[in-house]
Amino acid sequence: MAIRELKVCLLGDTGVGKSSIVCRFVQDHFDHNISPTIGASFLTKTVPCGNELHKFLIWDTAGQERFHSLAPMYYRGSAAAVIVYDITKLDSFQTLKKWVKELKEHGPEDIVVAIAGNKNDLGDIREVPMKEAKEFAESIAAIFIETSARNAVNVEELFQKISKQIPPLEHSEVDSNESFKLTRQPAASTRRCC
Amino acid sequence: MAFSSISGNPASGLTDRSGSFFKLIDTFASEIGELKKEMVQTSPTMDKKPVELQGLENEVSGVYLQSHHCGGVGGERDSGYDSLRRRMSVLDRLSQTHPVWLLLAVSEERADSILLKQPPGVFLVRKSAALQRKVLSVRLKDAQSGTFISHFPVRESQYTFSLEGSGISFADLFRLVAFYCISRDVLPFTIKLPEAIASAKTQKELEEVAQLGEGFWDSALCSQRRTSPRPCRPLSRTLSPQRTNRNREVGGSQQSHNTYCDSAPPTLRSHAHPPSFHLEQRHSSGPLCFVNPLFLQTHHHPHDCEDNPLAHADNPKNNDSLENAGKSSVQLLSSSEGSKHTDTIKLNGKSRPPPPRPPPPRSMPRRRPAPPPPGPPAATTRPKSMPEAVAVAARPQHSTSRRSAPTRPPMGAKHSSLAKRASSPIPVPSNAPPPRPKKPDLEAHRCHIALDDETIAKALSRAKLPSCEPPAVVPADMLLQNNAGTSSSPNERGRQRLSDMSMSTSSSDSLEYSQSPGFSLGLPPSPPGHLNQDPVEDSSEEDDDGDEDEEEDYGVGLETDLEMRLRPSFKSRRRKVGVSLSGGSFILPRALKGRFRKVSGMLSSLMTPERRAVKRIAELSRDKSSYFGSLVHDYISFVQENRGCHTSGVDFLQTLRQFMTQMKAYLRQSSELDPPIESLIPEDQIDQVLEKAMHKCVLKPLKSMIEVALHDFQVSSGAWQQLRENLALAKTKRPHELGVDGAVPPDSVAIEKIRHKFLNMRKMYSPEKKVSLLLRVCKLIYTIMQDNSGRMYGADDFLPMLTYVVAQCDMPQLDTEIQYMMELLDPSLLQGEGGYYLTSAYGAMALIKNFQEEQAARVLSSEARNTLHQWHRRRTAQRSVPSVDDFQNYLRVALQEVDTGCTAKTLLVQPYTTTEEVCSLCAYKFKIPDPENYALFLVTEDTSQQLAPDTHPQRIKAELHSRPCTQIFHFVYRRVPNLNLCIPAIMQNGNCLQVE
Repeated sequence: MAIRELKVCLLGDTGVGKSSIVCRFVQDHFDHNISPTIGASFLTKTVPCGNELHKFLIWDTAGQERFHSLAPMYYRGSAAAVIVYDITKLDSFQTLKKWVKELKEHGPEDIVVAIAGNKNDLGDIREVPMKEAKEFAESIAAIFIETSARNAVNVEELFQKISKQIPPLEHSEVDSNESFKLTRQPAASTRRCC
Repeated sequence: MAFSSISGNPASGLTDRSGSFFKLIDTFASEIGELKKEMVQTSPTMDKKPVELQGLENEVSGVYLQSHHCGGVGGERDSGYDSLRRRMSVLDRLSQTHPVWLLLAVSEERADSILLKQPPGVFLVRKSAALQRKVLSVRLKDAQSGTFISHFPVRESQYTFSLEGSGISFADLFRLVAFYCISRDVLPFTIKLPEAIASAKTQKELEEVAQLGEGFWDSALCSQRRTSPRPCRPLSRTLSPQRTNRNREVGGSQQSHNTYCDSAPPTLRSHAHPPSFHLEQRHSSGPLCFVNPLFLQTHHHPHDCEDNPLAHADNPKNNDSLENAGKSSVQLLSSSEGSKHTDTIKLNGKSRPPPPRPPPPRSMPRRRPAPPPPGPPAATTRPKSMPEAVAVAARPQHSTSRRSAPTRPPMGAKHSSLAKRASSPIPVPSNAPPPRPKKPDLEAHRCHIALDDETIAKALSRAKLPSCEPPAVVPADMLLQNNAGTSSSPNERGRQRLSDMSMSTSSSDSLEYSQSPGFSLGLPPSPPGHLNQDPVEDSSEEDDDGDEDEEEDYGVGLETDLEMRLRPSFKSRRRKVGVSLSGGSFILPRALKGRFRKVSGMLSSLMTPERRAVKRIAELSRDKSSYFGSLVHDYISFVQENRGCHTSGVDFLQTLRQFMTQMKAYLRQSSELDPPIESLIPEDQIDQVLEKAMHKCVLKPLKSMIEVALHDFQVSSGAWQQLRENLALAKTKRPHELGVDGAVPPDSVAIEKIRHKFLNMRKMYSPEKKVSLLLRVCKLIYTIMQDNSGRMYGADDFLPMLTYVVAQCDMPQLDTEIQYMMELLDPSLLQGEGGYYLTSAYGAMALIKNFQEEQAARVLSSEARNTLHQWHRRRTAQRSVPSVDDFQNYLRVALQEVDTGCTAKTLLVQPYTTTEEVCSLCAYKFKIPDPENYALFLVTEDTSQQLAPDTHPQRIKAELHSRPCTQIFHFVYRRVPNLNLCIPAIMQNGNCLQVE
């Protein structure tokens, strides 16, 4: 089975649980032989998808405002972006909208955008109605899901949905060509097969 | 049969076969044991030689090819080294003539048409378009399965090549093909070199053939040669058809055989030069040694103790026994070799031709017939020069009798000791300068040691031999006999020894091993000995390796876990070996240590093809007569002489990157790389290997120059100065001021450690190695953070912490380091972990570079998206409330015109008036006709920042005033110069009014 490496960028305010989601996703898997990594801000996980294996290379970003300007370096070349907000913080949903806008303007073409409303275990102090978020997601053709990293709710599903939206590989592409593309137009790199 | 055992234990995947590794190790141990014994016994062996030789002769059937040159002098037999040079092994022939048979671009139809005209066994290697793999196309014997040509796919796994369906894998295609010239394994029969190649006597002839390339097949040379040598073969065939084929193809020496055969009566030759014969055998069988596969030999003589896997040949005079011995030894060899160096192999190879699958051929002699050295003089000279050779010669005789397990000293020791002993009994002058093996030899020698030290110790202890003593000849014999259940004739031992030798020779790479062990054994540093044989090459290699080692220390593989894990272990192993070897006494204790290291030794030897390829490319790059070499050379000198032609550091690095990428593409396509890289490196590794090679060819020579150039760019742009200031400022900040929230920062000790790592990073020329060091730093930071809290940290915590660490390290040079990595790293690595942390480091550095700006007003560069109020809110939250004065509603703004200098006006500006509004006010007040070209700037001593339309000048002013030490600043209204944000020119005018 061919393995495709897919870069996935995580965006969202600090404290919304970006890295918790990824840690949950990566660690929950039955194989506990996660390759030793440097730290939790870059994690990988391989999942089967159709007749391919998708290896997610997950790039976490710092959500603080002061790092905002660095974001393009992280999302360039991404096959997908997961924008996370905290359903208990309206602010974080506003930030999410800014990210969506920025991705539309500056992000890679064809990037798959997924919106994750995290902390849905805290429904009683919810500030962002699910309906509103869902409608917003639909309006921009984004994946929408509410998750709970703490309770491991919908985390797998989030990435499965992403996997399904990744366009299948064109077989004509050769590896070496791909790497050339990487230099010139990083956006194309996500379609690279390894 | 050796064969079956071989196929049974394929060595294809290193990692997955730990079981077989252990077996292997045991085999090594026993081999070593044997060697040891042999060393001891050498002298007796010598005496017996004559006898054995005779036996051999009988077996061999005089036909085989003794050279008359050898002359009757027993002592003078050809040492093998000289002859090696002259006679070419199959592997040599293959590698020199690959343009003929390695036709990757040829279509199946064309391959068929070429091969149809050839005799059965002749082959091509090409790339099948249908399979997208390399295939070995072989001309079958007529009417075989309805087709005349069969195509056997080649499987390329991580580090090896093998034929589909076979368990035997090889470090490269040449070894694979060479092996199948000798042994059919999964093929219907052994393949053959075209006659012109098999019978070429000189390099030159081979070169001629090679030059024809694919055209060879249509040339007269091809058809003409085909028939000539035949006469000899028939004879051999009668004895054993399979062998014959092998013999022909295998030995470079064979060529010589053939020729000789024709000219001289076989019988005479064989008799005359028994010793040489043995030598020859070695040569001819050489290819066997190439066999990479780690397989175990199945044969165990009942008598053999564990230590002596080899010993099973009972009858010295028996051909079969000889053969068996040969086989067994072969297996050992093969197993021992992770990846062999060809040359070394040749030496060994002779003794162990792989047994053909079909019934074991009786014609031992055949294979081994020692081809007389092509040049008459050669025969005489050789023996003297080569101590090793002598030893070898002695061995063959022994071989038949038995394979007791003499313990072996580590490689280096072995050789030297052998040489010594052999020389004394034999008339041959041991002092003669040792012949120089080719480089590969050396390398091969080295590796073994690595494998062996422990094993040796074990073997020694089992044998109860004093490990480090150079055994006296006599005692040694005694020992041998004791150990060996069978009464082994010296000859046998000799045989085994051969195998041992090969074993030792075969392996991979590190100098350290070979040398230290030799000394450790207490053997006299052998001037005549192996190790010293070619000091020159040795040293050069060391340079090379040294350099590599330095970098390897830090672990190279970004993405390859394997590599990451292996390298450090190598290193550590080396060190340990060195230490332990220093004294013989240490050896025994070491025996207790686990096998793990040995295993890693095996792995390391497998790595060598890559290294070899890199080395080859590096050599090519220095060869100015090659196109590649001249390109690289020209480019490097161009770069060195024309630094000025680049506009920035990034621009400069990008052209370098581009050049490397282009050169990689060129290397992949051109035929200049000889042999083609596809034959050495499995497809999926090629890019990686080329990348590494380009680093070595291009970046290594340019590294210091690049550093200087990047620094110059920084200095001339003013970035250096600013960076230093910003770093100094950032260094004063506490973690939380840089955004660290909660996690515990590294203490000063840790910072120092990190600094040290960064300094090491600067020494690397390879961007990958630099990145791997960067990763270590990141890992360390993570470890510290997690140790102190136990929770997992994501980027929210890591990036600020990294920023803090970078600031604390206070190394402005880091900026160019990061640039270097960002621009030069293999693009395919940019998405991985290395790319991620590199990006983070870049980000951290960028934040620091803009630190003052951020503080001053977070302005406003189009990239900084933070709005002023957000920044304000944060800032004011942390500071005391601004003084009332700061809020007064006046703002003094200077109008700067290019020609007239500055005029200033004080304007009434409310705290919440935006810059946009201030601008329109200015346009009105200053009567500016084209306000769209003007903007408001905040100018301080050394910066000038355009204010974004939605910022609030009064608030900025307030903020600036609230600082502990107030900077001089001005609000300047002036023309926007090409959107350039920073205009130092302003300050030079000096006319600006100071606010307030």
